[in-house]
Amino acid sequence: MAFKRASQKFNAAINTVTIGTGDKALAIGGANAYPFYKFDSVSPNPARIGIEILDTGLAGEPAGVCAFYEGCSTVAEMAAKACTLEGVDFVCIRFASADPGDANTPVETCVEIAKAVAAVATKPLAIAGCKNMEKDTALFSAIAEALSGQNIMFLSAKEEDYKTMSASVGLAYGHIIGAESACDINLAKQLNVLISQMGLKNDKVVANVGSAAAGYGFEYVSSTMERVRSAALAQNDTMLQTPVVTPVASETWGVKESILPEEDAPKGWGPAEDRGIRMEIATATAVLASGSDAVILKHPTSVATISKLIASLA
Amino acid sequence: MAKFVTIGERIHCISPVIREAMATFNPDPILKRAKQQLDAGATYLDVNIGPAESNGEELMMWAVKLLQENFDNVPLSLDTVNTKAIEAGISVYNRSKGKPIVNSADARDRIENIDLAAANDAIIIALCSKDGVPSDNDERMAYCQEMLERGMSLGMDPEDMWFDPLFLVIKGMQDKQVEMLEALKMLSDMGLKTTGGLSNVSNGMPKNIRPIMDSAMVAMSMAYGLTSAIVNPCDLRLMETIKSCDIILNNNLYADSYLEL
Repeated sequence: MAFKRASQKFNAAINTVTIGTGDKALAIGGANAYPFYKFDSVSPNPARIGIEILDTGLAGEPAGVCAFYEGCSTVAEMAAKACTLEGVDFVCIRFASADPGDANTPVETCVEIAKAVAAVATKPLAIAGCKNMEKDTALFSAIAEALSGQNIMFLSAKEEDYKTMSASVGLAYGHIIGAESACDINLAKQLNVLISQMGLKNDKVVANVGSAAAGYGFEYVSSTMERVRSAALAQNDTMLQTPVVTPVASETWGVKESILPEEDAPKGWGPAEDRGIRMEIATATAVLASGSDAVILKHPTSVATISKLIASLA
Repeated sequence: MAKFVTIGERIHCISPVIREAMATFNPDPILKRAKQQLDAGATYLDVNIGPAESNGEELMMWAVKLLQENFDNVPLSLDTVNTKAIEAGISVYNRSKGKPIVNSADARDRIENIDLAAANDAIIIALCSKDGVPSDNDERMAYCQEMLERGMSLGMDPEDMWFDPLFLVIKGMQDKQVEMLEALKMLSDMGLKTTGGLSNVSNGMPKNIRPIMDSAMVAMSMAYGLTSAIVNPCDLRLMETIKSCDIILNNNLYADSYLEL
């Protein structure tokens, strides 16, 4: 008997969230099949790639990153350069130095950087914080106001601060909120419920359901993403149909495998930068296959590799 | 598994308010009941226009358009013995939120409603009965088989045939309840979808008892595989029970606010 291929059709789809405005607008999500299951259905939007730039510039960055941004003296110049890199769909500025435990960069300074970036970037923007919730809330609210109406993606809102984020970033200035939970499917859903109850429309919400470098509890990340995507499509769970945006670089470039200098590493590990790139690529590939609609990377080599992967499979 | 499907039963010509509204084509009472049921979490709404022998087609078309235009193409179950009225209702029905349900066929006089559903790509509610209440499950399953074969021979997807094992009134048929549950299990084991008029079980019981009995019955029925029921969605206890059972059966992912969804 001839093989009859059965395709899996869902009466459900991931929401489409547009970041940026006008010519810069970028649609994320919209899929109605499992990742790369193009034999079931081709997603209206391929998976997207963001490139992460730290507010501290190039200090401590790998040589390949420094080489790419050579000649750039400000974060805005770096952002402008990043927009020219093939495969980059959006730019994510991470205000790591705003952390009170770090340089404690004042909110006003961060706002100026964000404004300068917005003025020159030719791709839509995402803003990520320093992971100090109090500071991030103040920072996000100030940047949201300064860049009102530019439809920027803010990463992120958590269980503890979703009210402020929804009100002062989403509702007040029309930006997009990333709902962040850490590998907890029930909380991922609950957070979306709570944000929707705040009055935010579903085209203004993305989710970060958890991220980790491959090998660092990654199985929790992939199983969370798969369960979320399965509920969204197979069970038509409207509270889990938010596009998933997963920061990869901020996880993978901190682990031992990526940073241990060659001279300190076990024999055969090779140069740290090569390892870092491999970690970034392996993690990004895995989260895309598990159900992420966008990844945020750092190294130009990773961007080139992942964009080729997406173009080949999507 | 998909979430349990609730079919709201409160647009029914047996209610004096609805009968009057249908007689005079007055939209307000119908819209009000539709809104109450949808706010309470109903998926489908049943539209029972009675036999409507004189103007069934006109009435069903009016009701379908009225409800779908006002409530974002809410999916409907078209409930009448007047087959012309069902066909007329389907002719103006918008499928964007779900196929229409033909309510209902049985293994006797109304078996041709399966043909009607097949011809119109609709869902059919198929009552496992021929002459009143089936005497045992052998009989139930024979009727089920007969209707299933008829539907499939007409090209229906078995997913679109929702079998009703017949919920029986407890006051009078208390000894038949477990058998009905076992029928649900058999239908479920065959991979079939099921539905039925749940509140029939508590018929004749005091008003304060009915939500308790209906909730217990829906929970046990869902454990035996029931996938849908025709219910009063404004019964909060019942709806909370259904939502909780959907969580236990892993039909819906748990979140702390699951009762509010």
